[in-house]
Amino acid sequence: MRKILVPIKRVIDYAQKIRVDPSKGAQGVQLKNVKMSMNPFCEIAVEEAIQLKEQNKGAEVVAISVGPKQCTETIRTALAMGADRGIHIETKPDVRGDYIDLQPWAIATLLKGVVEKEDAVDLVLLGKQSIDSDCGQTGPLLAGLLNAPQATFAANIERGDDGSFTVERETDTGTETIKLNASGKPAVITCDLRLNTPRYPTMPNIMKAKKKPVETISLEDMVKELGLDLDEVLTPKNEVVEVYEPPPRKEGETVGSIDELLGKLKEKGLVA
Amino acid sequence: MNTNSLTKLFNPTDDHAALREMVRSFTEREVEPQALDTIEVKHSINDGLGILGLTAPDEFGGTGLPDATAVSIVHEELSYSDPALCLSYLAHSILLVNNLAVNANDEQLALFMPGICDGSKIGGMCMSEPNAGTDVLGMKSNAVYDSARDGFILNGTKMWITNGTLTGKETGDLFLVYARTGPRRGQILLSLWWRKAWRDKLGMRASPTAELVFENVFLPAKTHVVGDVNGATLCMMRNLEIERVALAAMAVGIARRSLDEMIAYASNRPALARIQKHISESYAEYMAGKCYLYAIANGLDLSTYGNGLDADGVKLYCATMAKNVADRAIQVMGGYGYCGEYTVERLWRDAKLLEIGGGTNESHHKNMARDLHKLDGNKLE
Repeated sequence: MRKILVPIKRVIDYAQKIRVDPSKGAQGVQLKNVKMSMNPFCEIAVEEAIQLKEQNKGAEVVAISVGPKQCTETIRTALAMGADRGIHIETKPDVRGDYIDLQPWAIATLLKGVVEKEDAVDLVLLGKQSIDSDCGQTGPLLAGLLNAPQATFAANIERGDDGSFTVERETDTGTETIKLNASGKPAVITCDLRLNTPRYPTMPNIMKAKKKPVETISLEDMVKELGLDLDEVLTPKNEVVEVYEPPPRKEGETVGSIDELLGKLKEKGLVA
Repeated sequence: MNTNSLTKLFNPTDDHAALREMVRSFTEREVEPQALDTIEVKHSINDGLGILGLTAPDEFGGTGLPDATAVSIVHEELSYSDPALCLSYLAHSILLVNNLAVNANDEQLALFMPGICDGSKIGGMCMSEPNAGTDVLGMKSNAVYDSARDGFILNGTKMWITNGTLTGKETGDLFLVYARTGPRRGQILLSLWWRKAWRDKLGMRASPTAELVFENVFLPAKTHVVGDVNGATLCMMRNLEIERVALAAMAVGIARRSLDEMIAYASNRPALARIQKHISESYAEYMAGKCYLYAIANGLDLSTYGNGLDADGVKLYCATMAKNVADRAIQVMGGYGYCGEYTVERLWRDAKLLEIGGGTNESHHKNMARDLHKLDGNKLE
């Protein structure tokens, strides 16, 4: 096995309470003074890449992130977990790192360029979705752009000696096993929650991670290098129309009997 | 407000920020869920994080971060959820591991360090005796040299030993023991037996405390005597400084948690006015303690001695601060605060230990008044 590319996203930490400023319209989700961390599904992808590397000596794990300068911290976390090097495509501060400005299409377009530039990438492992946008598009778009075999929502991944990957997916009707045949293209796999439990970066590894290389390149330079069009990459394909906080739960009413309950439910048209 | 200078004070380097982030996430996911389980003595300081041997040299299995700020960060974060677990961690990582890291020779480090850094062995340190607590230099335990066997014979009783027993059935694995080796003191390593495990404690119930008894324990002079014979007072004082800073960090963790609980409770209650004073004073005192802590920790060199005034001072301030903040948290939460599952009553009980362990408030008063007297009339900076 040669290279595993793991795209990782910096998002609002899963434990944070999201605050929305309604006056800001589509930009309403507050990102300032909010704890940011690696998207949990991306952590699972990093863990899986490291486990595959441990089983296949000589493989190199490359973590890549697109976003503002603080994405370096997210890459460092991946390096402390065990990735070998990082690539940071740095965006200007006025570009939001979330789905408002950098949408899956843009990320997948950049990742395709990086896969081709890196060469010798056998596998791209991504989270199945990011917890901020819940788009779940980046992996599938990337596979489409690369014309590469893909499997989504992986719950188990095995690599065959012939370079194929056998992936188990948990579906509503049971576990599905599919094989991604070696095709000369990298396999694209998106990772689901039950694939593994990500390790903690240990303190010695956090310190060693500082010595691992991280290549930082501006979005503009990267776009130029990959022969892409900046406007094409940055112009959102989707427009976020409105963002609002979930309405507070209304107070319930107490009913005296099951009959009364059924009556109320029927009244509201909730049961026939 | 620009919070940058505070961020830099609390996390001076990227390593510190990453350490805090890692321990905080470990605490949220692994420590918090078991923190209410204080009935059984537990033993869950298994490593894998590289924090057991935080300050020990990496060539002997440690993490190689001889750094009081890193020590403070780990203690603050663990204590946010489980001060008792943190106290056991302190006895092991500071009183045993760090003391050896600073005072033992390479042969001893190679012999003892790997096991206590990877967590396969858990131990602590023995200083107090049944009749020598604050007056530690009045200790009676003694180690007599036996030239025929080139070793020391240790006799004595040591009291309030954290990790003295881990299971309630047998002793911990390894202890650093202070004993008289002549007119002055030596420190010695050994295995031994225990007499009593103290279970019915006010707080810190998940951290085992025992009385250890030594009867004619033979210790080879080559491997089991740490530092110079008759020279352990310096080792003791040096390690007491970092212990006090770590205990102050535990107090800061307790205060932060108490505040979070108070604020969360108050946000759901309209009757805010009666508790504004509790919350605001608690926050101000917490921030004062935390700033004192990191200001001292950031400048403390673990290999030196002579930082006693502020090591005493920061613990004196933070321990009582934590107890008061936990007390106000109970008051704010009323009946809920008084009940176990709302956490703050446990923090209040745990915080009280910090006014006693690692030096009572009265011993800090004594030390600090003495050190301040030594200014000889010079004014404070």
